[in-house]
Amino acid sequence: MGMTITEKIMASNSGRERVVPGELVWADIHTVMTMDYLGKQTFRAFESLGADGLFDKDRIICVSDHLVPPPTPEFATLLNEWREVVHRYDIPHFYDLGRQGIAHQLMVEQGHVLPGRISIGTDSHANTYGAVGAVGNAVGVSDAAVAMATGRLWFRVPESVRFHITGTWQPWVMAKDLSLHIMGMMHWNGHLIYKTLEFGGPAVEALGMTGRMTLCNMTVDLGAKNGIVAPDAVTEAYLRGRTTDAWSPLVSDPDAQYDAVYEVDVTDLGPTLSRPDKLDDTAPVETLAGTPFNKAFVGTCTNGRTEDFAIMASILRGRKVRRGVNLVCIPASTDVYLECLREGHVEALVAAGAAFETSSCGPCAGIHTGVAGDGDVILSAGNRNMKGRMGSRNAQIYLTSPAVVAASCVTGVITDPRSDDWK
Amino acid sequence: MEKIHGKAWVAKGYVMSFDMILQRFWTAPVDPAENAKWVMAGVDEDFNRENGFKDRCYAFIVAGHNFAGGGKSIEHCITGLMGAGIQAVFATSFARLQFRNAINYGLPFITCRDMNLHCETGDELEYDPATGTIRNLTRGTIYESVPQAPFVAEVAAAGGLMNFIRQRIADGTVDTLR
Repeated sequence: MGMTITEKIMASNSGRERVVPGELVWADIHTVMTMDYLGKQTFRAFESLGADGLFDKDRIICVSDHLVPPPTPEFATLLNEWREVVHRYDIPHFYDLGRQGIAHQLMVEQGHVLPGRISIGTDSHANTYGAVGAVGNAVGVSDAAVAMATGRLWFRVPESVRFHITGTWQPWVMAKDLSLHIMGMMHWNGHLIYKTLEFGGPAVEALGMTGRMTLCNMTVDLGAKNGIVAPDAVTEAYLRGRTTDAWSPLVSDPDAQYDAVYEVDVTDLGPTLSRPDKLDDTAPVETLAGTPFNKAFVGTCTNGRTEDFAIMASILRGRKVRRGVNLVCIPASTDVYLECLREGHVEALVAAGAAFETSSCGPCAGIHTGVAGDGDVILSAGNRNMKGRMGSRNAQIYLTSPAVVAASCVTGVITDPRSDDWK
Repeated sequence: MEKIHGKAWVAKGYVMSFDMILQRFWTAPVDPAENAKWVMAGVDEDFNRENGFKDRCYAFIVAGHNFAGGGKSIEHCITGLMGAGIQAVFATSFARLQFRNAINYGLPFITCRDMNLHCETGDELEYDPATGTIRNLTRGTIYESVPQAPFVAEVAAAGGLMNFIRQRIADGTVDTLR
């Protein structure tokens, strides 16, 4: 009987010929990511283990993303303490202010995750790494500390669920719409908890790395252990120049066993939103069109990449963000920012009335650069919309794609980018 | 293993990790006594004061799907519950990040389907870790839970993952873990 891609990765990184779902393995970890918010705690936990040293300091990736630039004296102090720890351990891969980015973007973009390997991070959206055919897994501080000391971590081999995506993407419809559509289809009722979600089929193969990262990123919000896309020519082209490490293109066997297989045809999929407070309370854009809002945000590890700003610029170039709407844009990394500058997206968006901020998690974590206040209605291309996520618990957050945000910013109400309403 | 007796708090809706520990505590040190003071503060307005949850002296939580969901990896959710006296959580399903943290700290997260539909807050429960049987003494009902993996008991017996690894680093056997 064949194995799925995630089973093969679990087997090959734990010295086994094969594994079955439910089996417990100690697997080799390719890279461990930790960041300013929890990094000091992580290193402190590591120190308490009594190990001789880090298993490999080249494979501990340290990032300042939640707190840069620091918004309060308390966070400035936390950031200083974090920098002190990273410097003390002489970590070569430290992405701090000036060359910063959101950890998950950097892990993929800077070649720190490889197809066929396992990388972990002390932040929930580490699932993003599945975009290149790696197992990306979010863990707590203790798990990260154990991996930093031993280079290994325990895993329960997950059951696999396949999402076979077919059809042709409509103009202005993005991977985010598929993520939210699946969220509404599956709900938080336990179907996908602990499972690996494998995305395949022609409509996934047609996606670039940006869309694949969005899809895998939001699998954590579905309750899954990881999301993964088999490496192919797109992956190969993306990784060329980003890493010199060798990797093997593991893919699922044709006779692999799945817990369930779901087919989605994107031909009829339109822009999709999550209503405030509950991610799985989704609706097609037609249902919510006309809803007024006063703040908009595009950025995050979910939708802060060049293609996301490019689609916004194609809508907002030569147009204006409607008076009364605040639009904040935050590129997911310094490289994304530079690319958006070179391609003219920043100029188009700023001319339209968007405010650009330097790379960070920004208001998605409710920390800074545009947090929510009482009564705010926010259209966000981020990943979470529970009460208080972006600041005040008395704000409402609609989640959607960058295309919907851009079209809606022109009109001041939720707008279908496929319509003529914003033109 | 001895049976555990105590009072249960039964969740009426989703219990989310970011409500269990409010954002202002996310960067606080992991410390059961401290984390317990404000644990569950965002879950119910009655718990939103210092020791609001702890003072009710619950030994168990009974919940439905996706307990401690919402994707936070913070371990304070677990240490807060432990510091507040929680000895086991029974739920239809658990969010995986906190399920993992619970295993790493040795707090039993026990899968028991739909028990939340048949229990009320304040019910007296008895949990037998040896058999996985849960008795609702108030209502005279019995539930069979999903058995825990042997590894989970091994980590709990060691006093959590950190101690489990500390022992193996100290005696030079950590490399044998596969």
